[in-house]
Amino acid sequence: MESSPPRKKSSILPPGKENWITKNPFEEFGTFAASASDLPLDQIVQSTGAVMDRIRRGYEKLLEEEAKELVWMVQYNTIIKAYEVAEKYVKEIDYTAEDIEDFCFALENTQRIPYLIPGPAGVYISALCNYTKEEEIVLKLSELKTEINLIGFRLPKAKRLMIEGDTGDFTGIGLEGGELVIEGNAKNWTGAGMRGGKILVKKNIGLHTGEWMMGGEIYVGGKVRGLGNIVEGKVFEREKLVYPGKVRYPNLYY
Amino acid sequence: MRKNGYQKQARGIYQFISEHLYFNRPDMEIKGEQFNSAILLSLLTGLKKGKELIIGEPGLGKTTSAEYVCSIIYQFPLGVIWGSEVSGHPEQTEEKIIGRPDLGKLNRGEEDVVWTNFSQIPAKIVDEINRLPETKQSMILDGVDRGNWEYLNEMIINDEYCLFATANYQDGGTNTIIAPLVDRFDVMVESRYPGANLSFLIGKDKRKDHILRHPKYEKDLYLILKSKIAYEKKISKMEEVCNAYGEYLDEVLGVKPYRRQDRDQIRTEMESLEWDLDASAFTRMILAELSFCERYGQKRVVENCEEGCHYTGYLCHQIKNCASNRLPSSIKQYAQGLAWLLEDSEIDIEHIKTVVPYALAHRIQWKEEILSQKERSKRDDPLPIFLAKEAVKTVSQRYREQSEHLKDALAVGSRIFQGGDLTPLEGDHPLYLEVKKDIDARKN
Repeated sequence: MESSPPRKKSSILPPGKENWITKNPFEEFGTFAASASDLPLDQIVQSTGAVMDRIRRGYEKLLEEEAKELVWMVQYNTIIKAYEVAEKYVKEIDYTAEDIEDFCFALENTQRIPYLIPGPAGVYISALCNYTKEEEIVLKLSELKTEINLIGFRLPKAKRLMIEGDTGDFTGIGLEGGELVIEGNAKNWTGAGMRGGKILVKKNIGLHTGEWMMGGEIYVGGKVRGLGNIVEGKVFEREKLVYPGKVRYPNLYY
Repeated sequence: MRKNGYQKQARGIYQFISEHLYFNRPDMEIKGEQFNSAILLSLLTGLKKGKELIIGEPGLGKTTSAEYVCSIIYQFPLGVIWGSEVSGHPEQTEEKIIGRPDLGKLNRGEEDVVWTNFSQIPAKIVDEINRLPETKQSMILDGVDRGNWEYLNEMIINDEYCLFATANYQDGGTNTIIAPLVDRFDVMVESRYPGANLSFLIGKDKRKDHILRHPKYEKDLYLILKSKIAYEKKISKMEEVCNAYGEYLDEVLGVKPYRRQDRDQIRTEMESLEWDLDASAFTRMILAELSFCERYGQKRVVENCEEGCHYTGYLCHQIKNCASNRLPSSIKQYAQGLAWLLEDSEIDIEHIKTVVPYALAHRIQWKEEILSQKERSKRDDPLPIFLAKEAVKTVSQRYREQSEHLKDALAVGSRIFQGGDLTPLEGDHPLYLEVKKDIDARKN
């Protein structure tokens, strides 16, 4: 059989442009007039910077009003008062959950924020969490050197705060129905005075757990070092109910 | 857009179903108007010749909602719709779904096919599709995709068809729907519990199904479907009966269904609606995030993200698979439908934001860590739709911040394509790299 020589591939493209993709995938944007605006990243950095300045100023005001001598005693009244001051500043700022996390890091890593006092810082962060628009807040604090106290103070219903890392004393005190998840350890007086909601500590928890708690549940994935005087509510240790239970004496659990 | 009252008619159908047949709560809002997603998307599916997967708990109206929409949009009495449904079960066969040999003729040595009602009528419903074993799901792939139904050496082609499939949540009797079949569905929607009070009303009232029944027309249509005339002739004969049934619905129930020529006209009107620049750029942004991988060139379900990848903040880092080419087509279809219904002159970003979660929910495979992180979040939607809505919110936020620069980058891309000596714009989003890749491909 006679074989015909291979035919040259015909092309519908202009000579020399055979390899070009002729279809312009951006055709509809051909008439879009490019604006001489700032780079979007610059705008983002600028607006984030402005928000952070406002959050920082609020914290400084709180320190000025509540910790003049750089000493802050944790007493019921001082916490309430500090929270009221924090609330006042926080309500005026338009921020997101991400800004809260940035603020936590700025507390340790920037010269612009003068002092990290774990108590007021915790009250202020709690206020930020309670007033942010987002219902779910995740704070990655595992790289912070300081364990912040009072995180989750008065966390309201329908809010879920997740902390990646350890927290200090008085975690989740006065919880008002929210859900607080600590991926690491929590120290003493966790859940003290909480009225409702749920605290979930994935690792261990310290002494006086649930002191004067009035409702809600505390779940501990590790060990409970000691229970406080609990009025009402439930405490679970590794899924086992330890309060209400036979052993009710504060800090004499083992 | 032409004012011919078709949109008003569509709203009338929506209202009739909502008030008399499928009690529900609105669960989506667009441009200040509230709709129930199951009815709205079913309506668009019927009008746009789409494919919809309806999920939900047993007894919450998945199948009935589809039946009502099919009956009114295509003017088929409910009895015919019932008689044309395919139900998913492990014993299902090609003969029950598509067609069987004509046994009488076979005895005479002739080969002929008796087509099922399902393969012949334009409104197709597959009930409990996930009860079909995976191996049998592939039987309907081609029909679902192209409307081609083949048996022995014969084939019928549905010029006009839409498909509704219902699926229960996973239980002992369900199978997973195979990925190629899932991808063929344009949208997934949940038929939801209407709330205790509306549910109480449903229980209190007599069944409303009968209002869409018409035994005479049902009998006529069955006779046509059973007859041995050519499929094209059957279609035109069926249309006559359907039109008579449509007139009955208009006169007796006050709801005016669409005739075939109305539906064709509506589709032409929908097709003429184009994207505005924001809708186009936003959709490109979503598609880029759902397909981009800096390391391996594109997302692949068999490849994992590298540790410390620069693009961890984008959706590509949260998902396992790559967006298919059917996704933009589904988005466009339903956005066109929605824009038409709202009498808008173009597809804008609001239409896109509304339809994308439903077009995306069944197609994305999220990474395990994302699922475990979000499954306990407070939400109203089933997890896949919730996650898709969250993803759209995240991308919208990014689009708000970057839209001008992104459109600039696309405009520069266009000018380079037209021969302009410009440098592509830089940016952090994967779409900038995609623009560059297209430009490089053009140059090489």
